[in-house]
Amino acid sequence: MNDTESPLDQNMLLHGPLLERLLAGEFVCAVSDESAFQRLQDEALRDALDTYLRPLNRRLASNAEQSVYFLAWRQLDDSAREQLSRQLGDALNSLLPLLEWLQLVQEALGRDSVLTPGDVLKPGELQAKSEDNPSLRERIERLATDSFFGSQSDQLDAQIKQVFKRLKEHGYLLQPHGERQVYLATGKVDYLLDLVRFIRDEERLPVTEESDAQETLL
Amino acid sequence: MSQATPLESRLVTTGVERLALLGRHAEALMQGYTQEEVPLAGLSATALRRLLAARIVWRPDEQGGVKLTPKVRELIAEMTADEARRHVNADVAEALERLRSLVASYRESSARGDYWQQEQQLLRLRQSVDDMNGRFFDAIDSLWQRLNSDFGFVSKLSDKVRENGRAQKQVVRLLDGLELIDFDELIQLVGRDGTLRKLLVSQLQQQVSQHYTSLREVQQRLIELMARFRKMQARSRLVAGMEAFLREHPGFTPGNYAQRSDVPILCNRAAPLVAAGSVALDRSQDLPTLSALVSQLPTPSRPAQVASAAAPAQQSEDAAVAARQQALKEDVEGFYLAVVDRDEPAPHSALDYLAERALGWPDEIWLFQVIAEYQGLPRSEQQAFRLLPEEEKAADYNDVRLIRDVALQLAVAP
Repeated sequence: MNDTESPLDQNMLLHGPLLERLLAGEFVCAVSDESAFQRLQDEALRDALDTYLRPLNRRLASNAEQSVYFLAWRQLDDSAREQLSRQLGDALNSLLPLLEWLQLVQEALGRDSVLTPGDVLKPGELQAKSEDNPSLRERIERLATDSFFGSQSDQLDAQIKQVFKRLKEHGYLLQPHGERQVYLATGKVDYLLDLVRFIRDEERLPVTEESDAQETLL
Repeated sequence: MSQATPLESRLVTTGVERLALLGRHAEALMQGYTQEEVPLAGLSATALRRLLAARIVWRPDEQGGVKLTPKVRELIAEMTADEARRHVNADVAEALERLRSLVASYRESSARGDYWQQEQQLLRLRQSVDDMNGRFFDAIDSLWQRLNSDFGFVSKLSDKVRENGRAQKQVVRLLDGLELIDFDELIQLVGRDGTLRKLLVSQLQQQVSQHYTSLREVQQRLIELMARFRKMQARSRLVAGMEAFLREHPGFTPGNYAQRSDVPILCNRAAPLVAAGSVALDRSQDLPTLSALVSQLPTPSRPAQVASAAAPAQQSEDAAVAARQQALKEDVEGFYLAVVDRDEPAPHSALDYLAERALGWPDEIWLFQVIAEYQGLPRSEQQAFRLLPEEEKAADYNDVRLIRDVALQLAVAP
């Protein structure tokens, strides 16, 4: 290229792929793109990206913990608000099936905690655990045929496959090697839980995270 | 010890015998460790008596079975680093008390000039200091083991939280224990005796400061781990709680956060934007690349299609359209028959016929079908008619010929 190009432009050239992913609506976290995520820790770069995105009426946003980055509207006009309302409606419709799935995985695989970014998930493992467990099977079936996951099959393996496929499409899971049935949870799971926490706080729902309250109940 | 007393040598003999018992009955004892009681099946009456006498096992009540004594259980837990059963002993006060009395005895022996006794006291003193240090080493080792395994010896998160809490209390007790060691007091206690000074002041001071450092680090790590455990617990509870809530309230609708003057950041996700690009031919330097790309395109291969392959498309043709097409064709045939039936040989205009019969087809479609019908006739029949198009130029400078009308005439019979 020519010599007159400013350092900022040079810098932006490096971040083309990242910008493209963000613009396409993807969430960027340490799991989905570790090197980009590392670069985003630099405040100067975040400012530069914001400047670049200004004409597109977008800006870089993250959850409170800064474990996941995405693009937000800079100015909210009517059409943007309308799009956000629709999006919020979609998110609310998918909330119950997603929460059910998180719980199901935690229980089925006997894990200590809810799926956390970086956790490894294998459809085969879930299938093996459910094969001799009718109640788990039934829960998977109910979940898979929910309109969010939309499975048409009555076969357990096809149902699980469909659930994983949809979660991958929605960015909650990542499949590092296309041919291997191994998935990683992404930072979008954090985003989901942050959204749940936000709704709970806003609507003052009687849902607690405090351990003491729970323990005294027990 | 060449000068061992009869008492001492008897002690050694008994100790060796009893330690050997541990090895000889190792399997039964380990079963007693993992289960509630020591199985008596493989033990002879003599063996059991010896084990009881060595206080390796005991019988809590006459009717009950035989169990390991607490000290043996602790010994095994310590030897196998079994963190679920390992015991942390932070009792420093007792150890200090013992040091004080041993120093007093040592001084008395020294004053009496009883060097042999003095040696013995010094040996016990060293052992006591080692014991006290050993307890801290063991405790710190046990704490690290638990930390490094993320409390892996219990499986439930709530148990891990409890174990972490217990470990933190142990650290506090150990730190409190270290506080009890008062070096001013020890300095006074040892006076000018160089050996004691080295043992109880300079060495101990160094060891104690090491324990402090280790314990503070362990404490810090435990607190961090606890925070992580609590966060994990909070996430699980949030998911379970919200799921239950949504299930119980199927009609639940939160506010529309998108319409607020200040839209919450989590609810502000911009619509996806695809950065599209297309082939552009306006830059000459790109042309070689583009032509290379084109040449790499696979040649489209269209396999010969059998008629049946096309059949469904025909079948799916709208029945109403087909019917209209058929009606148009019949009307045009009517026009041809009318020309044949006419008496006068003059050409008959297609548009006039359309108007006369009030057939209602658009002019253009009518003309098109009349021409198509002519072209569709077998050559022999085509010769029986003469199709006369009435054409004109589209414009003065445009040579495109527009068909205004066509006239049909029976050809003069040869």
